[in-house]
Amino acid sequence: MDAMTMPTGRRDAYEVLTAPIVVLVGHFGSGKSEIALNLAFGMRERGRDVSLVDLDVVKPYFRCRLAREELRSKGIQLVAPEGDRFYADLPIIVPQVRGALSRADNENARVIVDAGGEDQGARAFGAMSDLVDPARAELLFVVNTRRPFAGDQAGLTSMLRDVEAAARAKVTGLVANTHLMEETTPEIVRSGLAAARELSGATGIPVRFCAVLRRLLDSLGGVDCPLLPIDRHVLPPEKRSRRGPIGRPMGI
Amino acid sequence: MAKKLMKGCEAIGEAAIHAGCRLFFGYPITPQNEIPEYMSARLPQVGGTFVQAESEVAASNMLYGAAGAGCRVFTSSSSPGISLMQEGLSYIAAAELPVVVVNIMRGGPGLGGILPSQSDYFQATKGGGHGDYRLLVLAPSTVQEAADLVIDAFDLADEYRNPVMILGDGLIGQMMEPVEFKKEIKPEDLPEKPWATTGRAGRQQNIINSLYLDPEQLEAHNWDLHRKYQRMAKEVRYEAFNTDGGCDVLIVAYGTVARITKTAIDMAREKGLKIGLFRPITLYPYPTEALVQTAEGAKSVLVSELSTGQMVEDVRAAIAGRRPVGFYGRVGGMVMGPDELVEQAEKLVAVHV
Repeated sequence: MDAMTMPTGRRDAYEVLTAPIVVLVGHFGSGKSEIALNLAFGMRERGRDVSLVDLDVVKPYFRCRLAREELRSKGIQLVAPEGDRFYADLPIIVPQVRGALSRADNENARVIVDAGGEDQGARAFGAMSDLVDPARAELLFVVNTRRPFAGDQAGLTSMLRDVEAAARAKVTGLVANTHLMEETTPEIVRSGLAAARELSGATGIPVRFCAVLRRLLDSLGGVDCPLLPIDRHVLPPEKRSRRGPIGRPMGI
Repeated sequence: MAKKLMKGCEAIGEAAIHAGCRLFFGYPITPQNEIPEYMSARLPQVGGTFVQAESEVAASNMLYGAAGAGCRVFTSSSSPGISLMQEGLSYIAAAELPVVVVNIMRGGPGLGGILPSQSDYFQATKGGGHGDYRLLVLAPSTVQEAADLVIDAFDLADEYRNPVMILGDGLIGQMMEPVEFKKEIKPEDLPEKPWATTGRAGRQQNIINSLYLDPEQLEAHNWDLHRKYQRMAKEVRYEAFNTDGGCDVLIVAYGTVARITKTAIDMAREKGLKIGLFRPITLYPYPTEALVQTAEGAKSVLVSELSTGQMVEDVRAAIAGRRPVGFYGRVGGMVMGPDELVEQAEKLVAVHV
């Protein structure tokens, strides 16, 4: 199976993501960066003109800007601070972010925004949400119920509302992303999707797609939800095939 | 409790709660902010107290007070913040108080950077603050092990009435892995501490003190502490990996570097080179005897650290010239790849084997 094909009869997350701007929000460690990177590479493979905006001003390790070289080699524009501020955990929003958001007006352009975790992270997007026409943007709330504080519906709902307030925008879709990394089983994915649907029932926000490690795609027969195959780009140091600082973990 | 996907820092925080600890005093610093953040959210849920102190110096002295009152208590920081805590830690060691301190190391010296490092090995294992004292130092290399060692750290601290440090580099604190908590200790089930200052009603007064003006008394106190550190020697822990039947190169590494070494072992196998790993889990007491025995089956020894060479001094002292000992370090937040370790092992073999 190549990267572009899905098992027969299965809907693809890319089919349902038609908005030119996709903003990822959610709990800390819910999987926003991994999903942002996969969407960026996937949309690029589908011929889109992709910009990836790293708005994570909160957490300094394992951000999607660390994939800078691989993104560049695929022709994806990364919008993130440069120089030594690349490594900082300071509230730096580069002016190019506003440019990227307003450039998403040509038909082939796709802008993916990886906001930081929780309301603290979403606030950075809130500062420029006036630039984004809600009709042309998806604000996706990523849910991994195996993360701390994300296991119960009341906590998820209140976090979702806090994120909306900070982002000054309504969440338009949920992303089911429950996993335990290499220990993920199809049952864990299924129960995570059920929890995301419960949150959908309570909030009226649809589940847009379910993210799943590529090796599990075939074992998720009968799952009636568009799937996003995930290839891990955010890797621990021993999984990096070649040398590099933590600032270059992508096997480049 | 079902397995959770946790950052090292979050797992450390949850482990402290599972160990029956209900007090955290600390001050934020990257890359360990998730520990105070986690404790500030979780402690109120379990009837505990979180205080963001006005500084690390203050936090370490709050630890002194809480531990003196017989409570399980912990703090966490990263390299520059741990330097600030040294005054309190020296007093705590002198007054023989059980506390747990977590250092999620970042690159130094000075403010340095915020990326991972192991350059506080000397500070952790050789005292850190002033005076003749030692911390018991535990070095996890996975998120699960970080959680397990935190729970053990509280027991060890109580047993020896001594500060115990969890020493992890930034990656151990920041990486996410599945974690399981198998046992939970309730604070009310913890053994009583008859020496604690809990009010003297019905008994003789207890005194927590680190001031000894009489030199004979202070000398006696120092030798008492020294004998305690010798008793701690039985707590040594280590892991030997791929060392059965000997090896060409024995890599000695802890924390993140030990993880990278395991990948290097696989890469080297394809080249017909056998690398073994000796991973100290206790950095103080150092598993010297086990290292010497493991190294007997190795043709050469390579120490690798995220420092310019700190643990290597303990390894050289242990090996005492019986095997060639090489060193490879990366610093400043740079992390070696597994291929670099294979390259270094090949160089060592070319020169010495």
